Amino acid sequence: MISAEMLLLISFATPVALLLACGWRMVRERMPTLFAFAPLPALATALWAVNRPPWVFNEARLHITFVLDMPGAILLGVAALLWSAAGLYASTYLRGHPNLGRFSIYWLLTLTGSLGVFVAADLFTFYLTFALLSLAAYGLVVFDGTPRARRAGIIYLVLALLGEIFLLMGFVLLASAIPGDSLAIRDALATLPTSPWRDPTVALLIAGFGLKMGLVPLHVWLPIAHPAAPMPASAVLSGAIIKAGVIGLIRFLPFDVPLPDWGVALTAVGLLTAFYSVVIGITQPNPKTVLAYSSVSQMGVVAAVLGMGLAAGQSNAVMAATFYSAHHLLAKGALFLAVGVVAATGPRRLWWVLVPAAILALGIGGLPLTGGALAKLAVKPVLGDGRVELLATLSAIGTTLLMLHFLHRLAASASPDPSASAPIGFALSWMLMFVAAIGVPWTLYGVTGIGVYDDVLQPKILWAALWPILIGAGLALGLWRWGRYLPPIPEGDIVVVGQPALRVVVRCEDALERVEGGLRQWPVAGLFMLLLILILGGVMFHGY
Amino acid sequence: MMQDPSNLLVLALVLPVAGLLLALVVGGRYAGRIALWLMPVGLAIAVMLVVSVIRADDALVYDLGGWMPPLGVALRADGLSAIFILTTVAVIGATGIFARTEFRTLPGQPETRTSLTFWALLLALWGALNLVFLSNDLFSLFVALELLTFSAIPLVCLDGRAGTLAAGLRYLLFALFGSVLYLLGAVLLYGAYGTLDIGLLSGLVRPEPVAWGAAALMTVGLMAKTALFPLHFWLPPAHAGAPAAASAVLSALVIKASLFLIVRLWFDAMPALMNPTAAQVLATLGAAAILFGSVLALRQARLKLLIAYSTVAQIGYLFLIFPLIVRPESGSFAAADLYTELAATVVSTSAWSGGVLQAVSHAFAKAAMFMAAGLIAQSLGHDRIADLSSIGRALPITVLAFALAGMSLMGLPPSGGFAAKWLLLTATIETGQWWWALVILGGGLLTGGYLFRVLAPALFGSRQSVTLRAPVARYREVVVLALALCSVLLGFVRLGAFDLVQIGRLAKAGMGLP
Repeated sequence: MISAEMLLLISFATPVALLLACGWRMVRERMPTLFAFAPLPALATALWAVNRPPWVFNEARLHITFVLDMPGAILLGVAALLWSAAGLYASTYLRGHPNLGRFSIYWLLTLTGSLGVFVAADLFTFYLTFALLSLAAYGLVVFDGTPRARRAGIIYLVLALLGEIFLLMGFVLLASAIPGDSLAIRDALATLPTSPWRDPTVALLIAGFGLKMGLVPLHVWLPIAHPAAPMPASAVLSGAIIKAGVIGLIRFLPFDVPLPDWGVALTAVGLLTAFYSVVIGITQPNPKTVLAYSSVSQMGVVAAVLGMGLAAGQSNAVMAATFYSAHHLLAKGALFLAVGVVAATGPRRLWWVLVPAAILALGIGGLPLTGGALAKLAVKPVLGDGRVELLATLSAIGTTLLMLHFLHRLAASASPDPSASAPIGFALSWMLMFVAAIGVPWTLYGVTGIGVYDDVLQPKILWAALWPILIGAGLALGLWRWGRYLPPIPEGDIVVVGQPALRVVVRCEDALERVEGGLRQWPVAGLFMLLLILILGGVMFHGY
Repeated sequence: MMQDPSNLLVLALVLPVAGLLLALVVGGRYAGRIALWLMPVGLAIAVMLVVSVIRADDALVYDLGGWMPPLGVALRADGLSAIFILTTVAVIGATGIFARTEFRTLPGQPETRTSLTFWALLLALWGALNLVFLSNDLFSLFVALELLTFSAIPLVCLDGRAGTLAAGLRYLLFALFGSVLYLLGAVLLYGAYGTLDIGLLSGLVRPEPVAWGAAALMTVGLMAKTALFPLHFWLPPAHAGAPAAASAVLSALVIKASLFLIVRLWFDAMPALMNPTAAQVLATLGAAAILFGSVLALRQARLKLLIAYSTVAQIGYLFLIFPLIVRPESGSFAAADLYTELAATVVSTSAWSGGVLQAVSHAFAKAAMFMAAGLIAQSLGHDRIADLSSIGRALPITVLAFALAGMSLMGLPPSGGFAAKWLLLTATIETGQWWWALVILGGGLLTGGYLFRVLAPALFGSRQSVTLRAPVARYREVVVLALALCSVLLGFVRLGAFDLVQIGRLAKAGMGLP
């Protein structure tokens, strides 16, 4: 019997060892074939945790603490699955690629960070893994080296660093409120509700994690960066990596103490995000961009769920949001892989991909009997019966519309060669993810006690899930008929305000450079020296 | 020798000076070898010094010739000095290995000018730095500063080109102004209080015009030598024009020495003048330095100039510690309850630890960066940032080292820069000065910006192969990587363990002041 400690250690040692092995050119060139195996120990760790009490690993000397509780384990497990399938896809995708060594390094770095955030239990480890994931993912975004990818990379990096800044300040505030020098998230949570800096702390945490989840208006980077990355990287970016924001909110917000104001604010932002990104998403022609907007929208729903939990102090919101995110992770990862498979498949075999893709896509909208329907069912008790629940149902209609638009664009992106078929590596990883996206939510639903299977099959519940789909389908017909009258909106919509802002920044830099030129004059420098002496002396005199 | 650890102070001074004299006697052919042999000894002494200070839990004092101040001159090593002495020998040692072949006289060849001057100056620099960190009176400190300046300036213009000579001359003039101001201040203090010993001054200085004048003069003089904005304009051409090994020492250590002196003046020699508004003024200059240095770094076309402007910015961070150590609302001090008032104003140790960690990790990171830039310039024949595409393919270790050092500058975890930033941010919260937190965080973003300009093309460039003009010796790359790793691993030094900083602060030594 292998201990949990060993499993956890191996989970991280594996990607790190592979990373070090990249130092040898011979190994580096063959590394992609190992991608599929690198996350498997993490999957085993997650399975170990099922039906066991939370388990804590504490290495106090290095300030490293891990916790394996239910939300963390579920997300760790499904993320490992996606990383494995996408790794399989990548190994085919990269065959013979001149830069595959570079890809391997950033893939493994991002993988390490992505798995780490789900189990990190102290501020330092969490920040470390979060930063690793955010920065290493830059390497994946710009991998194609096209001007479009480079632009996406810059926008991604600026916003990722902004998120890091929010979180750093939030974490410092958290740590300052903890008595003693503990950095455990548990202790931080315990003191947060009574912390003198509670409101700025919560605001910074929501901003930092919300940015990673793509909450409006900090979502601009997401629809630009996710489509720019190579296909397997898009899948993990939109599937696994944005869940770092979800686990952040889950770990750092105090769900057992009601914070009504912040809860309502988070719910409002979440719902706004859910609708806004549908509206923008249906104007997008690129299927990957449509999927990215759908991710933004779905993360909006998760934020709304967590907001409701925060407002009322219901800790069951955590499991509901976890389950919802786990389903989205698998389904969205699978759909991104489907885009790659379709692009390599000709019309003859297209239906073999399109039908399963349609099931998953509509599943995100809540199609009965799919994992998505279970996810909607899981969050229902948290959302309540009021206006929020109504809005969530309306957003399901929007999601259906958006996903049908995606399927339309997907079908149009098939390979022109009628007999083309996707390479076996692509097809296999896509099949794997399809099965996982259906099977895993069904299994988790019962095993983790989120709900009971009998409920799912009640006609009333089936109908409640079906009618939004039907309305969404009706709207989709309208979109196909009149969609060409929609205005074209660039990827990242409000990112366009960045252009004039950038010009202002450049002008400020010019001004600073001119000032610097002035300071280089000897008389000016001498004058400043004299002035500083007078100021310092004067200030001391005045202070006295 | 080991019975009395305070002998270590003398050894730390004698070793480089003895090496310097020996090098002058035997000439350039052997100067390098002497320096390289002395460095491990110096490292051992520095380590022993740190251990002794920790074990004694107090400052080590050595009265030269057995004469106590105010008659004699004392050497004193507290935790702060010990840390800086260790950092100095580590960086100088790495520089020595890095420069081993560059400044060497080949067998059978006539001796070159640089082979003697470089090593002699490096040893002199080392001795001068140790003297700065160990001296305990303002006159010895003046001597140490002069020695430092006069060994640093020739390093700038070692290659003798017109451009570097001009930069060196400008540096010289500026340093001269700084020295004059410092000396003027010291004279005022001596006239008013009859001593220059820091320990004695701390009990004598009262808030009165002569002390204010002296403090203002000396601080501004030292600021000029530290290249704090707006007195920084000599630094970029000087540091960027020097040979890589020299730039590394200048940017990592030399400017820190005058900063160290400002800290000594304000917190040890004249704590009674410690004034919250003055501290805010210093930090404001620091914030301006961060803004100007970073923006100018963003706009440089050459790698070494970019790194030099980055130094201007990073110096700014170090000046942020002043208001974080002195709480703003504590206002003016009444002469009577001065001491109790002060005890309340010195709040957290976070600012001290953060500042020291920032200085030390910057020293390692900046040395690594300048050396990496030197290797890149040597192998490509230029250091134009626009033409660094895909250099990571040709020099993976060097670029990795540059990236790691950059990580520390940006304050990404787990680097020393991150730990420093964390402590400084904590201090801003503890003292209720959130505006300095904004400066610290914003500076990180700007740092990311200028490093991105170098690292993005270097790591993600689209060129498939890069041809190098000259090969780069593997061991030099490893030295650079080791320095960068040091600056990253400093983050793992447990945040609380930097209590060493507090050892031997004058408050603890019973001088009555915190």
